Amino acid sequence: MARAIKKGSVVVSVGTKKGGFIFHSPDRKKWTMAGPYVPGASVYHFILDPRDGRTVYAAAPHGSEPWGPAVYRGRAGESLKTTAHAPKFKDGSGLAVTRVWHLEPGPADDPETIYAGVEPAALFRSEDRGETWGDIDALNYHPTRKDWQPGFGGLCLHSVLVDPRKPRHLLAGISSVGTFESKDGGRTWTTENRGVRAEFMPNKYPEWGQCVHKLAWDGSGDGSIFQQNHCGTYHRGPDGGAWTEVTKGLPSDFGFPIAAHPNQKHTAFVTPLIGGENRVFPKGQMAVWKTANAGKSWRRETKGLPANAFMGVLREGMSADPEDPVGIYVGTNTGQLFASRDEGESWKMIANFLAPILSVNAGVAK
Amino acid sequence: MRIPPALRSYTGGQDEVVLEASDLNAMLRALESSFPGIRERVVDEAGTRRPYVNVFVNEELVMTPLGEVALMPGDVVHILPSVAGG
Repeated sequence: MARAIKKGSVVVSVGTKKGGFIFHSPDRKKWTMAGPYVPGASVYHFILDPRDGRTVYAAAPHGSEPWGPAVYRGRAGESLKTTAHAPKFKDGSGLAVTRVWHLEPGPADDPETIYAGVEPAALFRSEDRGETWGDIDALNYHPTRKDWQPGFGGLCLHSVLVDPRKPRHLLAGISSVGTFESKDGGRTWTTENRGVRAEFMPNKYPEWGQCVHKLAWDGSGDGSIFQQNHCGTYHRGPDGGAWTEVTKGLPSDFGFPIAAHPNQKHTAFVTPLIGGENRVFPKGQMAVWKTANAGKSWRRETKGLPANAFMGVLREGMSADPEDPVGIYVGTNTGQLFASRDEGESWKMIANFLAPILSVNAGVAK
Repeated sequence: MRIPPALRSYTGGQDEVVLEASDLNAMLRALESSFPGIRERVVDEAGTRRPYVNVFVNEELVMTPLGEVALMPGDVVHILPSVAGG
């Protein structure tokens, strides 16, 4: 089946509650579906490693739920196998990994390294393509850990950013603890939540305790970052420091994914939902909102997206490919996959009747 | 020890292995030394049996901590997922 994925094709890896699927296309007009991979299992995250354009990783239970969390690896289009070990906490910690939420490739010049964000919230690093994992102690046993509170989806570490300019510069997002940053490869971490609201706390701007939903590098390449939070949308400039709230112009301050344009500065896409108490598109109109100025203004895009659509998009449910013009892909929690090949201006449904979509990841086969 | 289908990827397809151990914890460690990675499918890193994974000794369901279950020569241990249905 791998032969069917031509070099240069766009590959959209989709994790659903019933297995993973790959959609691939040489022209982004006609798509071919392959899968399911890890059939029947909830595939929380399914990614094509951009470093070689061939290897895929998936986060899913081993076989089915009872056997615990696992990481799968294989070649795109072929069956996947569990790696030798899943991430696990140190003996004596009293903690046990229940689910792998997110997989993040390491630096471009270190193709064996991959990170995993798990529940209960922790970050692990593998230096052998997921066969074995190391516990990032300074974050996983952070002094504040005893007071960490779970979000509605659990106490999960779901966002990992590896700085392409400085691989020792890392960020991690935990619900609902907030954003942490390390500049020394994970040896030390600081909380990075200044300017981010936590409406559910007595102090609306605590040092930590914010419910970050997703982090994404700004395509500027200067270290700027976008954040979608339970309480608003944010941008942080290249020098770090406080976040700037950029929710104004959006229909709500609630949403899950945020996808940044990979090479156009200050450009990002979000899918606002009504709110935490009703996680569906406002007025039942599916819409993707785009900014090209770091959130100073937003434009609503609905061409080709459905009305009377009372569903939502989950945390990993949106991704951008690296093509020109950039393609954007959105999966819904009712099993539809939408694609835009003109940077969000118009959309086409490329799959329906999947199980609820848990993750979407776009890349290019090499 | 009888190996369930979901774990035979670790044992090279073997559905049964013979091990020497004085209790169930020791048996899982012996299993792990032969087939790395398999133990963590049955118990998590805190040593707790995973929910919905059942262990039987001579067809009797084990309800106590695994380390408290002594084994005798000839005992047959089954590891099986529970039905967990409704």
